[in-house]
Amino acid sequence: MRRRKALGDQTPVAWLLAGPGLLGLMLFIVLPFLLAVVLAFTNLRLGSPLPLEFVGLKQFARIVSDPGFQRALFNNLVFAMVVVPLQTGIALGLALLLNRGLRGTVVFRTLFFMPVVFPMSLVAVIWILIYAPGASGMMNAFLEMITWGAWQPRDFLRDPLLALPALMLLSVWQGAGFQMVILLAGLQSVPEELYQAAALDGAGRWQQFLHVTLPQLRNPLIFVVLVTTILAFRVFDQVQIMTRGGPQDATTVVMFETVQAAFTRQQVARACAMAVVFFLIVLFVTGLQRRLLRQQSEVA
Amino acid sequence: MNTSGIARKRRWSGRAAGHAALIVSVLLFIVPVLLMLIGSLKPDERVLVEAGTIKALWPDSVSLQNYADVFRRADFARFLVNSLFITGSIVSAGLLVNSLAGYAFARLRWRGRTLLFNLVLAVMVVPFEAIAVPLFYQVSILGLRDTYVAQILPFIANAFSIFLFYSFFIGLPRELEESARVDGAGVLRTFFFIIAPNARPVFATVAILSFLTWWGSYLWPLMVTIGPGVRPLPVAIATFYTLPPLQWGDILAFGTMMVMPVLVVFVAFQRWFVRGVAASAVKG
Amino acid sequence: MIQSRSNARVVIVVVMASLLLCACEREPARDATRTRLEVWAHAGQESERHTLLAQVERFNRRQDTIHVDLTFVPEGTYNAQIQAAAVAGDLPDLLEFDGPFLYTYVWQGHLLPLEGLLSETVRQDLLPSIIEQGTYHGRLYSVGTFDSGLALYANRRLLEQIGARIPASPRQAWTAAEFSMLLAKLAQDDADGAVLDLKLNYAGEWYTYAFSPFIQSAGGDLIDRKTYMRASGALNSAASVSALTTLQSWIVRGYVDPNIDDAAFVSGRVALALGGHWNYSAYAAALGERLVLLPLPDFGHGAKTGQGSWNWGITGHCAAPQAAATFLEFLLTPDEVLAMAEASGAVPGTRQAVARSSRYHKGGPLRLFVEQLVGGHAVPRPRTPAYPLLTSLFQQAFDRIRSGGDVRPVLDRAAAEIDDEIEDNKGYPWIEPVRRAKQ
Repeated sequence: MRRRKALGDQTPVAWLLAGPGLLGLMLFIVLPFLLAVVLAFTNLRLGSPLPLEFVGLKQFARIVSDPGFQRALFNNLVFAMVVVPLQTGIALGLALLLNRGLRGTVVFRTLFFMPVVFPMSLVAVIWILIYAPGASGMMNAFLEMITWGAWQPRDFLRDPLLALPALMLLSVWQGAGFQMVILLAGLQSVPEELYQAAALDGAGRWQQFLHVTLPQLRNPLIFVVLVTTILAFRVFDQVQIMTRGGPQDATTVVMFETVQAAFTRQQVARACAMAVVFFLIVLFVTGLQRRLLRQQSEVA
Repeated sequence: MNTSGIARKRRWSGRAAGHAALIVSVLLFIVPVLLMLIGSLKPDERVLVEAGTIKALWPDSVSLQNYADVFRRADFARFLVNSLFITGSIVSAGLLVNSLAGYAFARLRWRGRTLLFNLVLAVMVVPFEAIAVPLFYQVSILGLRDTYVAQILPFIANAFSIFLFYSFFIGLPRELEESARVDGAGVLRTFFFIIAPNARPVFATVAILSFLTWWGSYLWPLMVTIGPGVRPLPVAIATFYTLPPLQWGDILAFGTMMVMPVLVVFVAFQRWFVRGVAASAVKG
Repeated sequence: MIQSRSNARVVIVVVMASLLLCACEREPARDATRTRLEVWAHAGQESERHTLLAQVERFNRRQDTIHVDLTFVPEGTYNAQIQAAAVAGDLPDLLEFDGPFLYTYVWQGHLLPLEGLLSETVRQDLLPSIIEQGTYHGRLYSVGTFDSGLALYANRRLLEQIGARIPASPRQAWTAAEFSMLLAKLAQDDADGAVLDLKLNYAGEWYTYAFSPFIQSAGGDLIDRKTYMRASGALNSAASVSALTTLQSWIVRGYVDPNIDDAAFVSGRVALALGGHWNYSAYAAALGERLVLLPLPDFGHGAKTGQGSWNWGITGHCAAPQAAATFLEFLLTPDEVLAMAEASGAVPGTRQAVARSSRYHKGGPLRLFVEQLVGGHAVPRPRTPAYPLLTSLFQQAFDRIRSGGDVRPVLDRAAAEIDDEIEDNKGYPWIEPVRRAKQ
């Protein structure tokens, strides 16, 4: 009979198991990341016969003073500040409606979640059709209908003021279902006793919402808010397909500028600098999430 | 006055209002989907012209001509196969690689475990877009542009998937390994024959989340593919949209065919989808 | 149990599939007896593709020392694809370049000079514009079998109705002021007031190709051509600003048809259309006798026009450059040049072919294109490796201008970015000798 081995050092086996995964992360995430940081301080271009040089902070200075990149940062910020509350609000509203346990909840839930499985590039193409200029365009016709004819048809995607809101709307449409599902799960895990206790204390529906629902939803809410904020900075597909950053930089975003620099203009170093800036922004936002969550668990 | 009667009436009207709000919301939500489905069945010229009317959702006539046109004008089958192959490879190889790693972190004792696990957590913070450019540069100078390898290999190992597996395995009872060890099973056998079969939920969650992420991936294939050879669906529809002549019926048919497989799987397994998404939130 | 087995099965399938794919990508064995040339061409119009295929076939058949393997690359992604191949060291033996995108490859050291490879007689036969296009730093790196033509197509009857004079040669071109008045007069008689088609719907390279001649006619330019070091002072000079402001005024006043359906001229909506040689067939069919070809207006320094088109170069990768040159000389024989010119509608690249062409010989309907190319009215697009960025920035700038943006700041910004690019590349110093691409 084999003696039971004490649970000692399992290093060789562990490396066998974790090896491929760790190797993948190293080669395809850590290495490129370090490469990006290093290259951001050089003048690397794809295919150039000139020798590689270190240029210090020149790339960063260039992109910070580039009106295109400045506008991109601004647009990403506006995008986050509008889409996050809007999408979260809609998702919360829908989740609350579905939480009532009305008939057909599953069907509704499925339908609301459906846009989430659509690839964003497909969503972009469909909404190009929706935003078609002229009175026959669906969005124009819809707005005309609900304003009783006051709306003048517009070319949304070529209008410097309307283009970004147009992109925001379709992003909200595509992402609300995802948040709704998370919030709904959160709502369903709120113990019924809390509501009953609050009702006993004389709290009305609205008060119950403020003092029971929202606090209990704190973690899922923070999660969806932060994920959506980060996603707002990762916006790319819609811009590339629908407006290409136009009209006149009205819809350019950080990822679009980055891809233009790397891919269209072969300026790898400049694109890496943009990627580094992008990463720092995302890091900041993620750090915020960690801190807020830690506060919550400390309080609890 | 019967208070329960008032309460019942309030509840009833509240129900009706709630139902009404839901129905209106759902209708607004699915209009773009219906536009795509119905539009794909209409003649090309009518799609744009009728988009602003009710005819966008209620056609005069239906035909499958656009679907035939798509196959004539574009190599749809190839794009579909590409997407299936690429996403399938990433997901299946990922399930293997990431589950093993997650298990090693969760249940084995080994040197460097804590340090490397912190590395995994750190990597989780890095969004793909931050490393897309240097990865593109690496792929370019290795001459791997326009290949399957470039679209699959970098995405097999995934920090978040490792974390999800880790979180799940941590919660499994120790008795599973104990009994396996008593039977003389090594770590690998234990994993494949004891642990994994008990981990179906997390495998499903990771598979679904992974599939959703990479099926619609557009940025990376856009940068890395050039011709139609290894091009996946998300890039293909964007290219098809720019292919003259601009025929909306064909484009919508392309879109319908592109999303139909995923939609079908989604509707059939939507409970798993929902559970997976919710789980990612809890763990994240 | 099931989980692990299906896992393993999937892994095996994936591995096998990848192996299979790698196997399929292996190249076919080389033929030991004949020199094989790998040739890439852009997938242009169907007639062009058929003609090139036929030419390759004829060449392969008439001799047995060289065999040409032709691959078509989609036009839309052509530049991206050769750039990717260049970076990876995968360029073919002989390939086409899209006009001024040539120079970046010359500078990167991918191309062989053609002087020693092409015979003197062939070179003498080429149109001067072809030689100018293919020359960089004093040496010839590419030859085109045809060149492009850009001019104003007009409806003679509508012009006569308003009593306009009809220029008979580039020297008699309308002045800018005359042209503006002409537009105003035509607009009065026109239903929607839009009387000029500038092909704004084309966008892309068309913007640079078609609209830089207006700037050059005014005395400005895209870049300082003496040194090719700066765009500031040229692109944003007073002359350039004024030329584009005039253009913008035509658009803002509604004289210009947006041409979304690409049929403004053939449907009779407009009296004038800026167009290229590729428009001739459709326009001649629609207007017949009423069609007349006119030079662009003269903004002060003479009427200018664009030039340049696809051209062939031999890469350093090529193991048998002389064989490649033999194929090129075949493509440049009068019969073959004519065949391609007929198929594409473009200006034949050699004098002998021009003389035999029904459209381009003296007295032919498109003679104006030849006059422009030979008479110095055609200005090549800037011969600099910065061209890809330059044209991209100019297109963006023009897009803003046509949408009503303030011309001067837009051009200032574009010029500054181009200057940065040139500076980053240290002015594109010439690195001799040509380096061979990685084997």
